[in-house]
Amino acid sequence: MLKLLRMEYVVNRRQMLITAAIFSGYFLFMAYKIDSPRVFLVTMSLMIGLAMPFGIIGRESKFKTASLVCSLPVRRTTVVLAKYAVGWIAMGFGLALALLLAAWLPFSKVSVAEILTLKSLSVCLLVVSILFGLIFPFTLRFGLVGIIILLVSSQLLGVVALILAQLLGRGPDPLRTVITGIIKGLRAMLYHEATPDFLMLLAAAILAINAASFFLSKALYACRDL
Amino acid sequence: MMDNAIEIRGLRKAYKGFVLDDVTFSVPRGFIMGLIGPNGAGKTTVIKLIMNLIRREHGEVKVFGLDNLRSEPEIKARIGFVYDVPHFHEDLRLKDIASALAPFYEKWDQGEFLGLLDEFELAPKTVFKKLSHGMKMKFALAVALSHDADLILMDEPTAGLDPVFRFELLERLRAIIQDERKTVLFSSHITSDLERVADFITFIHRGKIVFSSGKDEILESWGVVRAAGEGVRPEDVPGLRGYRQSDYSLDALTSDIASARSRFGEKAVCDKASLEDIMFFISKGEAHA
Repeated sequence: MLKLLRMEYVVNRRQMLITAAIFSGYFLFMAYKIDSPRVFLVTMSLMIGLAMPFGIIGRESKFKTASLVCSLPVRRTTVVLAKYAVGWIAMGFGLALALLLAAWLPFSKVSVAEILTLKSLSVCLLVVSILFGLIFPFTLRFGLVGIIILLVSSQLLGVVALILAQLLGRGPDPLRTVITGIIKGLRAMLYHEATPDFLMLLAAAILAINAASFFLSKALYACRDL
Repeated sequence: MMDNAIEIRGLRKAYKGFVLDDVTFSVPRGFIMGLIGPNGAGKTTVIKLIMNLIRREHGEVKVFGLDNLRSEPEIKARIGFVYDVPHFHEDLRLKDIASALAPFYEKWDQGEFLGLLDEFELAPKTVFKKLSHGMKMKFALAVALSHDADLILMDEPTAGLDPVFRFELLERLRAIIQDERKTVLFSSHITSDLERVADFITFIHRGKIVFSSGKDEILESWGVVRAAGEGVRPEDVPGLRGYRQSDYSLDALTSDIASARSRFGEKAVCDKASLEDIMFFISKGEAHA
């Protein structure tokens, strides 16, 4: 496991610096533009959760090195576990970077103190987990094509939903309902009182999503022919 | 009883339009086995199944007496593997790639690795993508040969290499097995390479094993029967494995050259078959038993 983590570092260190630079630019812009800590938190989580699967699998997919990794003396389960570990380490760095920039920059409008609470960070981790947990198994199984499949499928689903809404007439717009539901859900979590029960619930959800994602990835990666 | 480095029994893997079926053979420890067959015969599939890079549907693969799925890490630690197309991180320097891979192998010998790079005229600071295909292959070979592997498994290692280096590589493979502990299995469709170094040959065609036995035994017993006119019919040839027939002549491949000689006498010319003859007749001949 440690050998795989070291390998990921050695083969991706330059890419990590490039990603950090791009993230810094994005976070600088967001810290300058956004004054609501909650909006900053959500946009930061979206960026990190969406970009990390690309970053981790992108180069492996581009250089077709999955077969190299699987020819090393390690089990595929360990490879998957290492990918998740790398993902979370990278996302941890991403979050820390965003918060540091928001805290230290003189032109930042974001109050970092409001973000640095157990509840806010838990919600952030939950959003990141949902995105990362959903995208990563497909990326691991199908490479970058997996992300494209997922995006295209989502778009097609959206188109079908819109067509159905048009055909059914006055019924509720399904897309609007879903998007409104997500926003309401996020808002409810961000404004919810940080009771121990609520925090435990968030922690359990984060663990459950990651565990489900990991086991799905493990199963998909085991059937991948290289 | 001969100690086997690899034992494969009843291996099956199906793709759309291709089935590798009931593949059974073994590679004795301390020898070189060549896996031969035309393009698309299933050589790469067999090697990938040994490495568990693809899933088998049926069958069993044992390497050093261990199941290749249950004991995957232990087995792979003792294998030096070379792909038909080397895939490494293209934008890394050779020494960085090696630095990423070395910790996985307890017996990694950095001195040996650098010595091989020097011998293959590869600078450690060269970026991988700047290498030609042949040089990439040399790098893959250097990696595979740097951790004192007990089994060298190579898929078309000589493809894309210049004849001089090919010769040197084959000599190196021959030197590797001198300690009688190391084993080499490599696939190739360059039959001359196999004739030069292989102790055993496994011929695979359309996903099935045609034969798997000692090279000398094959080259001694297989032959080509050449006859003019209509004096010899294909069905008369003992041990017929394939033939080409025109209005004026018959060229037939037999796995029993001695019987063919005694049967036809002066009526036909019976020559020993080369591996190339065998591959040609079995792949392109009109019939094979």
